[in-house]
Amino acid sequence: MKMADGSTILRRNRPGTKSKDFCRWPDEPLEEMDSTLAVQQYIQQLIKRDPSNVELILSMPEAQDEGVWKYEHLRQFCMELNGLAVRLQKECSPSTCTQMTATDQWIFLCAAHKTPKECPAIDYTRHTLDGAACLLNSNKYFPSSISPRVSIKESSVTKLGSVCRRVYRIFSHAYFHHRRIFDEFEAETYLCHRFTHFVTKYNLMSKENLIVPINVGENAAPGESEA
Amino acid sequence: MGTNSGATAGINNKPVGGATGAGVLVGGGVGGANSSIGGVLSNSLGGGGGGLSISGLNAGGQNANVGGMGNVGGDDGGNGMVGGGVNNQQATTPQYTIPGILHFIQHEWSRFELERSQWDVDRAELQARIAMLLGERKCLESLKSDLTRRIKMLEYALRQERAKFYRLKYGTDPPQLNEFKPSNEDAGLAGEVATDSEVPYSSVSNTTWRQGRQMLRQYLAEIGYTDNIIDVRSNRVRSILGLNNNAEHDGSGGGLGGGLGGGTGGENLSPNINGNESNKRASETEGRHTPAKKVQQSIDEIIVDTEAAVMANFEFLGATEMSDDDEISDDLEMVATDNDDTDVKMAKRAKSGKDMLTEDLEADVGEQLLNDMNLMTEEVDGSLGLGELAQLTVNNESDGAYDANSKDGTGGSAGGAGYRKTWNAKYTLRSHFDGVRSLIFHPEEPVLITASEDHTLKLWNLQKTVQAKKSASLDVEPLYTFRAHTGPVLCLGMSSSGETCYSGGLDGNIECWQLPSPNIDPYDCYDPNVHSGTLEGHTDAVWGLTTMQSNIVSCSADGTVKLWSPYNKEPLLRTYTASEAEGAPSSVDFVRNEVDHIVVAYNSAHCIVYDTETGKQVVRLEAAQEMSGNTGKFINKVVSHPTLPITITAHEDRHIRFWDNTSGTLVHSMVAHLEPVTSLAVDAHGLYLLSGSHDCSIRLWNLDNKTCVQEITAHRKKFDESIFDVAFHATKPYIASAGADGLAKVFV
Repeated sequence: MKMADGSTILRRNRPGTKSKDFCRWPDEPLEEMDSTLAVQQYIQQLIKRDPSNVELILSMPEAQDEGVWKYEHLRQFCMELNGLAVRLQKECSPSTCTQMTATDQWIFLCAAHKTPKECPAIDYTRHTLDGAACLLNSNKYFPSSISPRVSIKESSVTKLGSVCRRVYRIFSHAYFHHRRIFDEFEAETYLCHRFTHFVTKYNLMSKENLIVPINVGENAAPGESEA
Repeated sequence: MGTNSGATAGINNKPVGGATGAGVLVGGGVGGANSSIGGVLSNSLGGGGGGLSISGLNAGGQNANVGGMGNVGGDDGGNGMVGGGVNNQQATTPQYTIPGILHFIQHEWSRFELERSQWDVDRAELQARIAMLLGERKCLESLKSDLTRRIKMLEYALRQERAKFYRLKYGTDPPQLNEFKPSNEDAGLAGEVATDSEVPYSSVSNTTWRQGRQMLRQYLAEIGYTDNIIDVRSNRVRSILGLNNNAEHDGSGGGLGGGLGGGTGGENLSPNINGNESNKRASETEGRHTPAKKVQQSIDEIIVDTEAAVMANFEFLGATEMSDDDEISDDLEMVATDNDDTDVKMAKRAKSGKDMLTEDLEADVGEQLLNDMNLMTEEVDGSLGLGELAQLTVNNESDGAYDANSKDGTGGSAGGAGYRKTWNAKYTLRSHFDGVRSLIFHPEEPVLITASEDHTLKLWNLQKTVQAKKSASLDVEPLYTFRAHTGPVLCLGMSSSGETCYSGGLDGNIECWQLPSPNIDPYDCYDPNVHSGTLEGHTDAVWGLTTMQSNIVSCSADGTVKLWSPYNKEPLLRTYTASEAEGAPSSVDFVRNEVDHIVVAYNSAHCIVYDTETGKQVVRLEAAQEMSGNTGKFINKVVSHPTLPITITAHEDRHIRFWDNTSGTLVHSMVAHLEPVTSLAVDAHGLYLLSGSHDCSIRLWNLDNKTCVQEITAHRKKFDESIFDVAFHATKPYIASAGADGLAKVFV
């Protein structure tokens, strides 16, 4: 049935699929995706094809609502950041990293609590990701996540910036305190690279906050650490 | 036939006719090639033959010879007509020879004969189906009438109580029962309300008689069911196993009868048709009972003699054929009517000396009468027809209908079976970034865990909700996010105590988790002890996981099924590997009514039951006749019935199939959805089945009669996937679905 002929390709991960075959199906052009999750599908398809081709992944198709494009990308970032959090959990403990820091310049306070708290780094990481998951799935700010994800209120788009700022600190903490983990993760996913490109391209964060050294001007090449 | 044998050429024709018969069976291509040549041959020779036969009858021998050749030619031409094409027909039509025509007629006759026997077989199949459906109905009805009787009893007791209460309170006889309904209701049901607040008993405040009854009905459905569980089960066993056997038996009998009828020819045809018609009539009349009754009465009055004759037939039947049906007598009249038909036929053959016409009439009327009598007994049983059954819920809503039904005094009206809970979406669980692959309820608390392709699991407490704006449904925020998998999480299991949960992922690991308290602060400090271990052993994606007491069994795309005892020093107990031909396992479950058995679904569309102790295959679930083209039959999910030796499988070809674990045979197969069925769940009592499909809907099925009770469109599609998992809460009235759209929904 599957791939029997071009017109009836069924993009399904059936139980029993080997992990190397997971989501391994011919690309579907965005125009042909009739799903309400088309943008997510499209982005994931590009990442699956080549995670290092950041330029292509971030190039927005024509006639695409920019708010939705940014929103879907941020969802994807938060989702993939789970992978970094899993790795950090093994090494980053409240006893070694008592505070969320990158350079010694700032101590980041965890915004997940009623009054911002000085959480240990691992708690900060988890709380920030959990909070981002709640916000990005919130029916209040992003009701479009249930009804077709095709348009987003302008007021909600501004929320994306603060999510970006917070989750970026996870990258920076990993880079400055758990460099081995960061490098391994980055070599696999190019996530920080893509994220830096993303926030620069859509002006979601100021340049001085982007403290992990990644050359944005460099065209789709991985940062220095992966060279 | 008669004309054929009368004709002179008949003797010659017969063997040739036989040859033609064989010729027809030969493949089309060869037949076509032959026939074109044959057509030419027949043109020349046949023409010559024809000429000769006309010119001289005296030249007998030669004539016959040439005629014979002509026959051969004509024969091939005939072949061409049956198997070939327009060309051949054109070739033969201009030349009509007597033998050719005779052959053609013979052909046509044998073709008709073939078709007729096919119709007979079809008819037998349909009859078997009718019998099966009637059997299912009967089971339902007996359950229903049982429950109805119970309701009546309780109602009566309640009425008595109420009257007594009134008398004690006011010292007079109650003027009208209705007025006292509310207070009594409150008293009677207060306990229930207290123990089970989930059930919508809020209508207590409303004081109409109808609602009182509605409540009683609910009460019975919730409580009476458990008392009746044994009846229900036995009925179900019969409906699933006994009935099927019966239907098969019936079908084969019918088929044999059909074959016989085809063989012996025209004589049997009319009784067959009679039987058909009367069956049809039976099913028609079952739809409307009162007319049937009237007919019955009128027939009673008018044809007493015929009745006697038929009764004789009936007795004869009881003596011979009914005997082996005794053990499945529950399964019914339809079998009896079926036998009736054949029996009447037999009787007819025996009395062949009699006048055929009256015999026919008698048999006809008799059969009708028998059917009507069957109906009558059904009515006395207090059962309703299928049509009425379908409208039962509607009937329940109106007092008039209810009263009318209850007047007949048999209690054959609305009952427990009529009570239907409608599930509505209440909670939406949104927090996952990608498709939710699996979900599982806590065995007691209103708590569930979801596992998603976003690499995380989340814990949800349905009692901690956020009111979504402008909407009846509630949003729930997750309490805890479990992170350890480095890829999509595919499956979940939970210990029976609800303290531990297990998850299998695309990364090939099974992670073990100690559940945090359901009242935990979502932004509490990270406790590394929640993640209490990893079971490593699978070398590829873990797709199936299920628990039984302290053990878990998992299946993986690496082709193995593994039994684990987590928290043992050596957690891996055993590995089960099937032959290469079976492919990778796609789903696994413990056989619930048999200790130490697991059932595994393989990519080959077979299921294998293993003995966990010996590691040996106990039985293979496969249907020989169905497996010819099993490319699309891929099994997405296998579940074991909680109490019966039945395995249920969800297939890519939109079917749900039911298997008997002891014999390994297919018991029932039904098209259940518009697209592949992906997930199954059976409720703790084994009464209902929940299925999810890529057609975006979940369906609730009554396992007794395999009918769909409710369909809910629940999720959206991502690529070509929609719903990944469905679940029942073991002790609370919750069902849930998980979808590719990243949402999970809980219905109450």
